[in-house]
Amino acid sequence: MRHRSYLIILLLLWGMAGCTSGGNGGNTIIYLAPTLLDEFQTESVSAIESVLTGKGYTVRTLDGQNRSDIQLNQLDDALLLGPKAVIINAVDFDAVVPGIEKVRAAGIPVIVYDRLITSTVVDLTVVAGTVEIGEIAGAEIVQLLTARHGTPRGKVLQILGDPGDTYTLDIQNGFNNVVAAHPEIEVLTNAALQWEAANAGDIAEDQLLVHRDIDLIFVHAAHLAVPVVAALEASGKQPGEVMLVSSNGAPVGLDLIRQGWEQVEVEQPLYAQVYGIAEFIDQLIAGEALSPGTHTILGLESTLIDEHWGPTLKIPGAAIRADNVDDPRFWGNLTPP
Amino acid sequence: MPTATLAPERTAPAFYGRLLDHLVWVILAAVLVVCSLTIDNFFQVGIFVNIARQATFVGILAAGLTLVIIAGHMDLSIESVMAFSAMLAAYLVGSNGAGLGLAIPVWATLVLSLALGALVGLVNGWLVVRLKINAFIVTLATFIIVRGLALVLAGGRSVFGLPEAFRGVANASVAGIPVLVLILASVFLGLHFVLTRVRFGRYLYMIGGNATAPFRAGIPVNRILLQAFILSGILAALAGWLLAARTNGATANLGTGMLFEAFAAVVIGGVSLTGGVGRLSGVIAGVLLLSTIDTAINVMGMPPHYMQVIRGGLVLLAVVFDSAKTSLRRLGE
Repeated sequence: MRHRSYLIILLLLWGMAGCTSGGNGGNTIIYLAPTLLDEFQTESVSAIESVLTGKGYTVRTLDGQNRSDIQLNQLDDALLLGPKAVIINAVDFDAVVPGIEKVRAAGIPVIVYDRLITSTVVDLTVVAGTVEIGEIAGAEIVQLLTARHGTPRGKVLQILGDPGDTYTLDIQNGFNNVVAAHPEIEVLTNAALQWEAANAGDIAEDQLLVHRDIDLIFVHAAHLAVPVVAALEASGKQPGEVMLVSSNGAPVGLDLIRQGWEQVEVEQPLYAQVYGIAEFIDQLIAGEALSPGTHTILGLESTLIDEHWGPTLKIPGAAIRADNVDDPRFWGNLTPP
Repeated sequence: MPTATLAPERTAPAFYGRLLDHLVWVILAAVLVVCSLTIDNFFQVGIFVNIARQATFVGILAAGLTLVIIAGHMDLSIESVMAFSAMLAAYLVGSNGAGLGLAIPVWATLVLSLALGALVGLVNGWLVVRLKINAFIVTLATFIIVRGLALVLAGGRSVFGLPEAFRGVANASVAGIPVLVLILASVFLGLHFVLTRVRFGRYLYMIGGNATAPFRAGIPVNRILLQAFILSGILAALAGWLLAARTNGATANLGTGMLFEAFAAVVIGGVSLTGGVGRLSGVIAGVLLLSTIDTAINVMGMPPHYMQVIRGGLVLLAVVFDSAKTSLRRLGE
């Protein structure tokens, strides 16, 4: 008798769950962030939520905790919530492909933000291009070394993030491609495991002892620059004695430029990327096709082109120096448009 | 009448026994020699000072962890306590990023950080001794929670721009020895004294070996365990405060990976994970060995993709050598 009651209750619950599954998500957009342990990502969350809420959407953000398996699970869960669209900033470019294909097969548009995915078709990609960021950094570094030595030569210490992160490897590729054209520039490369700041400080401290002729240190994220500067200060260096270049555009990088320790910060145009999504999201949700062309996003001339993975809006990154560091369009000044 | 004398061959096993007892120091010396001979510019005072200085944070973590492990438990929360302590201190007085820039004395930030560490240790210890929950589970949960709190505190933003007095701790030296190294040495010497000369230390070994017998002998087992967890938390918080001083701020992922290093140092140092066995002298050698390996990897010019493989491989080698000493000792007997 008791067991039958339990069975009936169980069947009722299952039935209720069946009625409520495959929900209508209203006007919800789901944003899958790769991690929240990175200032670029946390400001991205803030900007995406703010801008898209302003367009009348409800944004729900999920943290991938730097694990591609978690993002795949989140894509499965997103399907059940029936959102209007899914925006994804992938932990791993290839690992999320099955999840993306499932979401698109359910008729939900997928927008790729910041980290390029080329191995499947998506509805829109909005990126600055990590390889391009490395190239911009490389070009700036060549200029700085030329200004110091009269010719493009010198010694550069490159500090990557976690060597398992394709984001840092792309920046390294772009940087190496540019510097390879100048054989008199010697590059020492080390990785700050887990993007951990103290590791970057240790690397700088050790390398400055062993290679006393380092001209410039290039770190792949601004937060790695802080302990590097601490190491430079501890070794008695003055601002500018060992030059510093960083990428991603975090507030700390801009402050270091103002203090004279850092010469260039290569910015990922966070706000422009978010506004790029906002520019096209209504069309995507309505199922309209996007036409290639030039678009001005927050004053930046951006190009929408058809790639084999879908329409791609490329927004140029910017080199931030002392003469333009206070420009409010740089996300590191934390003044959203 | 013949006079009894010690057979001369019995002094040789004594020598080898001492060698085996300090095998990790022998391994450390060997690694230093090999690196000095094979890596350009490795053999210089500055590099050795770097090794000692960079060992400070993992060293202090490992010291606190050793107490809990000797007592027969473990504390996975130390890395997160370190991170939250760093973030809390930096958040209060940092002038840039998410920092509040409060004009409070630097010592006050240290006191607050240590209090935070003690609180987490108290929570861990209470759950383990009062509710009898497995320490692995409890401290795994606090590891996750406290790291999350570090993220919540600054909203994912980093904090930097600490006052000069704060940063000075990490940059100062006394007679050429970095203050950080002096602090590390003081922690180890102090805990060595506690473990070898103070009743609390002896009780830790007894409880780690067999918790029931000390209890029946009237030793306050629960109170001793609680104190061990609190001490572990306090030391983790101290490591965090010093790390903030060294990195001139804090980020949400500060210290990631140091838990593994602390455990590795403890195991390499000969502390048994089952409790009741181990000495701090081995742990400090383990910490210095890991720091030496990291520095060697930094300066040897190896492609960065191989870093983790090399690191893990060398740690495994050190553990294998240390484990082999047990077999060698049995052969000798």
